[in-house]
Amino acid sequence: MPKLTIDGIAVDVPAGTTVLQAAESIGIEIPRFCYHERLSIAGNCRMCLVEVKPGPPKPAASCALPVAEGMEVRTNSEMARKARRGVMEFLLINHPLDCPICDQGGECDLQDQALTFGADRSRFQESKRAVAEKNLGPLIRTAMTRCIQCTRCVRFCTEIAGVPDLGMVGRGEHAEIMPYLDGVLGSELSGNLVDVCPVGALTNGAYAYTARPWELAHTESIDVLDAVGAAIRVDTRGAQVMRVLPRLNEAVNEEWLADKSRYAIDGLKVQRLDTPWVRRDGTLKPATWAEAFDVIARRLADVPGSRIAALVGDQVDAETATVLKDLWTALGSPHLDCRQDGAALEAGARAGYVFNTTIAGIEDADAVLLIGTDPRAEAPLINARLFKRFRKGGLRVGRVGLSGRDLIYPVEDLGDDPSVLTAIAGGTHPFAEVLKAAQRPMLIVGQGALARPDGAAVLALARAIAEATGMVIEGWNGFNVLHTAAGRVGALDLGLVPGEGGRDAAGIVSGCAEGAIEAVYLVGADERDLSGLGQAFVIYQGSHGDAGAQVADVILPGAAWTEKDATYVNTEGRVQRATRAVLPPGEAREDWKIVRALAEALGHRLPLDTLAQVRARMVALAPVLGRLDTLAPAGWAPFGRAGTVAATPFAPAVTNRYMTCPITRASPTMAACVRAFLNGNEKRTGTDG
Amino acid sequence: MLHDRDRIFTNLYGFHDWHLAGARARGDWDNTAAILARGREAIITEMKASGLRGRGGAGFSTGLKWSFMPREIGERPHYLVVNADEGEPGTCKDRDIMRFDPHKLIEGCLIAGFAIGAHVAYIYIRGEFVREAEHLEAAIAEAREAGLLGPDACGSGWAMEVHVHRGAGAYICGEETALIQSLEGKKGQPRLKPPFPAGVGLYGCPTTVNNVESIAVAPTILRRGGAWFAGLGRENNTGTKVFCISGHVNNPCNVEEEMGIPLRELIEKHAGGVRGGWNNLLAVIPGGSSVPVLPRDVCETVRMDFDSLREVKSGLGTAAVIVMDQSTDIVKAIARLSRFYKHESCGQCTPCREGTGWLWRVMERLVTGEASIEEIDTLEQVTRQIEGHTICALGDAAAWPIQGLIRHFRPEIVNRIKARQGQARAAE
Amino acid sequence: MNIGTRLYTRLNGELVGEDAHGNRYYQSREAKTAPLYRRKRWVVYKGRVEASKVPAEWHGWLHYTCDAPLDGGARAWVQPHLPNLTGTPAASVPAGDERRGGQRPAATGDYQAWRP
Repeated sequence: MPKLTIDGIAVDVPAGTTVLQAAESIGIEIPRFCYHERLSIAGNCRMCLVEVKPGPPKPAASCALPVAEGMEVRTNSEMARKARRGVMEFLLINHPLDCPICDQGGECDLQDQALTFGADRSRFQESKRAVAEKNLGPLIRTAMTRCIQCTRCVRFCTEIAGVPDLGMVGRGEHAEIMPYLDGVLGSELSGNLVDVCPVGALTNGAYAYTARPWELAHTESIDVLDAVGAAIRVDTRGAQVMRVLPRLNEAVNEEWLADKSRYAIDGLKVQRLDTPWVRRDGTLKPATWAEAFDVIARRLADVPGSRIAALVGDQVDAETATVLKDLWTALGSPHLDCRQDGAALEAGARAGYVFNTTIAGIEDADAVLLIGTDPRAEAPLINARLFKRFRKGGLRVGRVGLSGRDLIYPVEDLGDDPSVLTAIAGGTHPFAEVLKAAQRPMLIVGQGALARPDGAAVLALARAIAEATGMVIEGWNGFNVLHTAAGRVGALDLGLVPGEGGRDAAGIVSGCAEGAIEAVYLVGADERDLSGLGQAFVIYQGSHGDAGAQVADVILPGAAWTEKDATYVNTEGRVQRATRAVLPPGEAREDWKIVRALAEALGHRLPLDTLAQVRARMVALAPVLGRLDTLAPAGWAPFGRAGTVAATPFAPAVTNRYMTCPITRASPTMAACVRAFLNGNEKRTGTDG
Repeated sequence: MLHDRDRIFTNLYGFHDWHLAGARARGDWDNTAAILARGREAIITEMKASGLRGRGGAGFSTGLKWSFMPREIGERPHYLVVNADEGEPGTCKDRDIMRFDPHKLIEGCLIAGFAIGAHVAYIYIRGEFVREAEHLEAAIAEAREAGLLGPDACGSGWAMEVHVHRGAGAYICGEETALIQSLEGKKGQPRLKPPFPAGVGLYGCPTTVNNVESIAVAPTILRRGGAWFAGLGRENNTGTKVFCISGHVNNPCNVEEEMGIPLRELIEKHAGGVRGGWNNLLAVIPGGSSVPVLPRDVCETVRMDFDSLREVKSGLGTAAVIVMDQSTDIVKAIARLSRFYKHESCGQCTPCREGTGWLWRVMERLVTGEASIEEIDTLEQVTRQIEGHTICALGDAAAWPIQGLIRHFRPEIVNRIKARQGQARAAE
Repeated sequence: MNIGTRLYTRLNGELVGEDAHGNRYYQSREAKTAPLYRRKRWVVYKGRVEASKVPAEWHGWLHYTCDAPLDGGARAWVQPHLPNLTGTPAASVPAGDERRGGQRPAATGDYQAWRP
């Protein structure tokens, strides 16, 4: 623990800390551009120069200087101030100073620091440098003349996103940040470059020229476009969501956000259901809420509960699930399923359907087995954690199924045949030895491995592997299920699975076709093929007009995740709250209220009138939902059903990583991403929008 | 003046055979095993006693540098890297050493490698030195053939391999950490120090980077004793040094001389004097393009060693003496150096990347006088803003020549600006 | 036309012409113009002083764009020149303004609703 003084204040920090971090710990902020907590130290912007004694009579870069015993640091001495002013002048001589037309204006590090540390005029009389724009795809807009060559983006791409595509090319004044090869940046985390860039060189392509930061209202919320549950900040202006930024949550997303979560928000403005619709004489007609409920009540008046079913979608919040569960109990219907993709997950043992290791826990693992999952497409942030762990060294990753897919770290493909799993469980496969030898082995089962007829057998096999290779030990649980649906874990916690004699998702659809089910209630369920619902009366509730709305007889307009206060449980089982940032459009209402009103229309008045009552009921149904933001290890219990596993290879759970739900399918930006990233790179120049 | 018996580089002019046989005849590889048998500590102590200061420009004690390497070889191997990326304008000493005395360097590699615990030495040679690289390769092959290198170098039991790596022509790769980066196959950009290469260097392993001349003189020092070397020159500036005299002299040459020789004596004795006589001298850059220029009155008396030149606010650098007579446009000459540094800046850190271009542009205007008098002070301040604020010394090297120019030739610049302003007024 | 302009025009001016609105255009007499200087051109408005009353053909002449006024009005597609009507009852009023009855299309909203 070296002791040093910074600006006369004595500090005691662990050895290996840098002077900049030590200063930060006592609240002295040293200006910086290239330094970023999560990236390696470059030390090239020279903005953080401080005076250090003892040492040579010149300022030292505090971001790269380890503390030493008896060091005397002065961050605000004449020498330090002069050095910073000089560096700031150099940074500005070739900066275009086009703040009035720059999207970074108002939240620009260069602007702020120029105000604090810069001079009020320039002595530079020569011509400024101009730099050609670069094409980084539809998500990132470049203005490379503004670049100050801090290389944060280069380090982010190499160290966090795992795609070393960006680099500083050329030298001296002609040094430019550019992709080494012409083409778009093939990372699913590229949106973070916008946050990482301290100036306006890399800005948000979709948000370009739409708002200024000081016009925006901020709401702290949770992302639901994948099952990671990243912490986000929703920035709104009036009734519009302008952009989404990541929020710090060390346990989940650190400070990164996947591109889909950041850029799909323009889907919130398109294809919205803003009024109830009722099918009359074969066509859908707009209606009032009263008319819609009236139609439902009359149609279902004589239908027994055993002939009514409900399918719960991927983004249904726990509150809605609670009310729905109570309604179905009141109706006496066992036909209720939240696994619309047919995943063979059981509501019983929690350890059997959550990511037990936890996302932060990945950093302790030393061997990973991926079973029928492509984390890069299904949960980019979990993939980034795996990459972070890989960079520390000594990680072995094996994969069964979906082989050949490029994850950003090396993976040993063990084969596409699920029988490899049997071999690993039996200890005859060489990778079993790897897992056994590892201190902290883990496996990740993807929805692709479970959403198949023999999914229960695959789940049982995965459990057998976990038990056989010592993944479940004191203080460590290496068994993980990677979800793709944000609402799935919460719904499983609440037991939204078929009751005694109930039909599962496939059974409900076939029951509709056969006529055994007379009415089906689709709560945001769009991901299943709904063409075969036959003569059944279909009620669709959701925010977007997608597959479900097309086949519905009555449409009840619901709210998207930015429009309601709701509880979501991420794939780890972490209970988090989303907050309302804007109001639902038109006549649309919060989903739990719709279900509550529907219950009343069906003659079952539930004692759930306020959000507080709903949440109390929710915790009563599933006590685990009462603990916000904290994780308790789930007890190990039997799950899965041993059986034979067919030889068919696992199908991917996510075929199009930019379009996984009605919101993303409606988003123009996501459509642009599909064109740019998935359908081959189109030839574009840097000046294209 | 240095006696012939004290010369180290006896084939500096290539009059003799540079191959192994010729080198042996001049005393190289003479019982090298006995030197190694003295042990690491003894060699380093002897080098410290000789007072040899690094010949690459910074003048850091070579023996001390070797002593910074970890005593015991741990998990990570040690490396010796020889900096033969001689790119400093005006300097051509390493080139002649490698061309005509390659075995001195290779023997030095063995001894230095042994002293720092390295089994592998890399010679990073400037890409433009094609013949020199060929000579080195041939000399290494000869030495290996003769058993002087290899698993049992010189029968001492120490395994030593020497590899030649050719650079691609970037001046910045002569900076030790940039050289290491380049050797690793990365973009040649200086690294942050600390950690120093002695702790974390090539491939993250302890590494010593030495100039060609520093390594090449080591065998002779150890053979003749540190005291002999320390007896030459002045205190703290001991030994002999190869000076490169170029520019407006009658006989430009490389010459090995004692440290501390007066500059005037050096020029007049070895280079045949200044073109048109001593009085025709305008200025001298005493140590390669990176050090401040000296006007004639300083040149009269100054001695050529590290400390004397520091006293007159210049530096010995690589001891490349660039002589300029009265016909020189001194402002233009320094402007050309500015352009060189602007071109060679790696672009990594801000003051150098942005500042060198600024300096060059202002200098270009000062050449024609298209500037105002105040801009001279601005220029001076800009050089101070670069100096000492960068990762490596290239920023300092770009700033110093201009500081020297302003310090000694300010009236010349002012006259030009005034003349230009006068012309402009006359045109109206 | 104030007294100064009237006097200056009387002393220096040479009438060049008159446009359709009755504005009269003058330039300084050759004899009154200093050598190497161009002849001053000015307009004396009929009625209210308003710069936009000058039609295009005279505007060019007045600003030394052409040596003589253009011959306007000869082509069928040239509309008669009107001065700036802002502030007058004949001023342009956008559709939906109260003065045009205030009938506006309904706002489209900031989202696009789904239609079957």
